Amino acid sequence: MATSTAPTARAGGEVYSPGVRAYLDQLETAYPSWIAHVHEPVDPASFGVTAVLQKLEDRNRYPLVVFDRPLDLNGKASSFPLATNVFATRERCALALGLGPEHAYQALALEYARREERRVTPLLVPASLSPVKEVVKVGDEVDLREFPIVRHHRMDGGPYIDMASVMRDPDSGAYNIAFLRNQYKGPRKLGIHMSPRHNWQIARKHEEAGLATPVAIVASHHPAFYIGALNVSPFGEDDYEVVGSVAGAPWRLTPSQTWGEDFLVPADADIVIEGEIPPGVREVEGPFGEFPGTYGPQRVRWVVNVRAVTHRHDAIYQDIFVGHRDNWVLGSFPKEGSIFNRIKGVVPTVKAVHLPTSGVGRFHCYISIDKKVDGESKQAALIALGAVDFVKHVVVVDADIDVYREEEVLWAVATRVQADQDVDILKNVKGNTLDPSQTDDIMTAKMIIDATRPVRRPFETRIEVPPDSVEAVDLRVLLGTEQLSRLGLEDDL
Amino acid sequence: MTRIFWVTCPRCEDRFYCHYRDLRHTDWKLRCPYCELEFNQEEALQLDE
Repeated sequence: MATSTAPTARAGGEVYSPGVRAYLDQLETAYPSWIAHVHEPVDPASFGVTAVLQKLEDRNRYPLVVFDRPLDLNGKASSFPLATNVFATRERCALALGLGPEHAYQALALEYARREERRVTPLLVPASLSPVKEVVKVGDEVDLREFPIVRHHRMDGGPYIDMASVMRDPDSGAYNIAFLRNQYKGPRKLGIHMSPRHNWQIARKHEEAGLATPVAIVASHHPAFYIGALNVSPFGEDDYEVVGSVAGAPWRLTPSQTWGEDFLVPADADIVIEGEIPPGVREVEGPFGEFPGTYGPQRVRWVVNVRAVTHRHDAIYQDIFVGHRDNWVLGSFPKEGSIFNRIKGVVPTVKAVHLPTSGVGRFHCYISIDKKVDGESKQAALIALGAVDFVKHVVVVDADIDVYREEEVLWAVATRVQADQDVDILKNVKGNTLDPSQTDDIMTAKMIIDATRPVRRPFETRIEVPPDSVEAVDLRVLLGTEQLSRLGLEDDL
Repeated sequence: MTRIFWVTCPRCEDRFYCHYRDLRHTDWKLRCPYCELEFNQEEALQLDE
């Protein structure tokens, strides 16, 4: 286990709740190769940030990048450094939850699922003990242009804040946290896009009652907050309780500046933007480069009238590189564990579940099972399709295939699949409106590829070099340290 | 996929797309993401449905 910078309960009930800066400090100390700094000024609103990320991505590099001197929306040096690509590797996500990088694959997914099942009641703390209240701006003092808000992709309608928003259900009182895009529209005005999910229901209830919907945009916080926000709890469950459970300690909350104790915000956030969605008001919003790697179209959407901004005195602004690995990794592992557990109840020999980045962390699902009877593979696939509506294509492989190595999965498809016997198509299933391949607004087609070997007839086996012969090889002796270094095999040194 | 229509901006002549049900055949002004011009649909240089 790695040392965690996530909130942790200590003896006596004291809770230690650092912000994102503590997490970055941990990376600098323990994993300096995972983090890069851009010391030169860049203009986030003119693609200065995403151009750097794209250039790194083109070289297959995904460090967390801190822009030390970004410009704000006035074109002046912002007082907020900008951190992005935080979630682009599973290892960094594991670290945010207090797990070591060696636990970044199946262990991370299963641990997330375990924690997601529990609930931890948040702690209410006064403003005086809340770092997010170190700087408070209300009304005309608010000017969103002070932030280094990022314009991500060429067709985007403008700079966007793309972190998580908190809303509160007026009936149950439960808080919902979701990633919602916010287009910059003015110093105290944002656009907001909602799909027909939990937050949309909350806004609709307020609107039908003629009321404004309070919303707190948590523009920067410890990464554990955002990872916890991706839980798949039913509507009506309190996401603050789940976030606390996922992070490993009660989440500290404090009264908001605008609504007091009627609406609580994270006490340890770096930056919170409080605002109201007025009923019946719509404006043109978008386009915006979305998670599938395509643009969501320009739409008619809600707006947020910003009432207050509160932040730490040394706050770091955050952004997610949507439609890229930063977004895809974050969408994957929080769902893998729950899919695994649901399959295990019916197919006990399931070995692993993975939502790969090639499927934008959502659309493709690879499942390995130690199949004992034919039919188990399809059973497992159907459970995955039912468990998460994002999942579109399921590939089931045998236990000798590592689902985290896509080349192996596709090898199994190449050598163990006869399309007329092993592929099933399910038509007219609920899909995702942002999937550009859909021909219907709501419905999609799903596909199951059974790439497992048949049990009931003889089947050719995979070639192998005898494992004991491989084990006996010492590359240091045979290749020497210089060649190992040149080949990038420092781990074998 | 949500039904979309492509629009060519009358000022910068660049292309973007809009949500059909939200915006096509409505009085909403479209907003060019490149040059920020707001314009009526009939002013577009081209509309591709």
